[in-house]
Amino acid sequence: MTLLTEDIRALVGRRKVYTAPEEFGAAAGRYFGLAIGDLNPLYSDPEYARAQGLAGVTAPPTLICETNQYANLPLTPDGDAGHNWGIEIAGTRKVRGGNSYTFHRRIRPEDVITATWEIADATEKTTRSGSEMLIITSRATYTDQHDEVLAENEETIIFVSLEPGASGAGA
Amino acid sequence: MTYEAGQELPPLERRIGLADMIAYAGATWDWYRLHYDPEFVARQKLPAPVVDGQVFGALLVEQIQDWLGPRCFVHKLDFSFKALVFAEEIVRCEGTVTEVGDGYLVLEQRVVVVGPDGGVDRVAAGPAHARVLLGTPDGPGATPGTTSGTASGRASGAASGEAGAR
Repeated sequence: MTLLTEDIRALVGRRKVYTAPEEFGAAAGRYFGLAIGDLNPLYSDPEYARAQGLAGVTAPPTLICETNQYANLPLTPDGDAGHNWGIEIAGTRKVRGGNSYTFHRRIRPEDVITATWEIADATEKTTRSGSEMLIITSRATYTDQHDEVLAENEETIIFVSLEPGASGAGA
Repeated sequence: MTYEAGQELPPLERRIGLADMIAYAGATWDWYRLHYDPEFVARQKLPAPVVDGQVFGALLVEQIQDWLGPRCFVHKLDFSFKALVFAEEIVRCEGTVTEVGDGYLVLEQRVVVVGPDGGVDRVAAGPAHARVLLGTPDGPGATPGTTSGTASGRASGAASGEAGAR
């Protein structure tokens, strides 16, 4: 049985756009730094940041790719309040494949960010153990209030058939 | 400081406790119970709350910036997930220089889970690849006037004196 059905193929090109209701803010970057244990003063000390050549504090680069902060979606009973495509395929296990980021410049507190997600590709492969898997590739483009591109994020979600020999990875 | 292919990055090691995971959930507005709720993860037949995989990208960037200092810019980073990491485990970011260019480095990195003996228990994320611009605190998309760095710093010496300045 193929996992790459016509319904799945039809998802390619689907888009969702989320615009933050306010500026990014300096606290967001400082908080993220504390949360991951990265005490780089670029995220907390404006004088230090300016001495390095920046206009002021910035945020850890990957924070912009956390779309939940812009999405303003309702909280589910499982605690999920983030962007997703709602793709559920019976008889499969969903795992994350990986991410590919391109950063164009550092985030500034005054940035108002729009995240534009698009399903870029859907392909089917067979694992080394013989299980079917469906790979959904999504691409997000993050822009500021002047439509300048700040970052891009390509991520893969893999649906692995629960037939014998299924494999997979991240959360 | 000069750079050469094969050079190893100083490793970055971190225990990721449940409190850290809750802090990360707050900082990213991602409150999915898989990352902090023991009863929820037990129903998923998992041994403990699962570390959000995006943490590894943040740690890989931190490893690079800790090494090269504030006048560098991580332009590209990619990584693949290989295994789940659970609350209270220790992860270590490892990396090697694979290419030295005019004003940039290409690195290969990975995130491993540290075993009781300090060795590698399993690979959590990898391979990871990063392209890092040297001699500039900001990226090519920075508007002139908002950064005073130069994106054309040479690989040799561009970041000298900056590493370890934090």
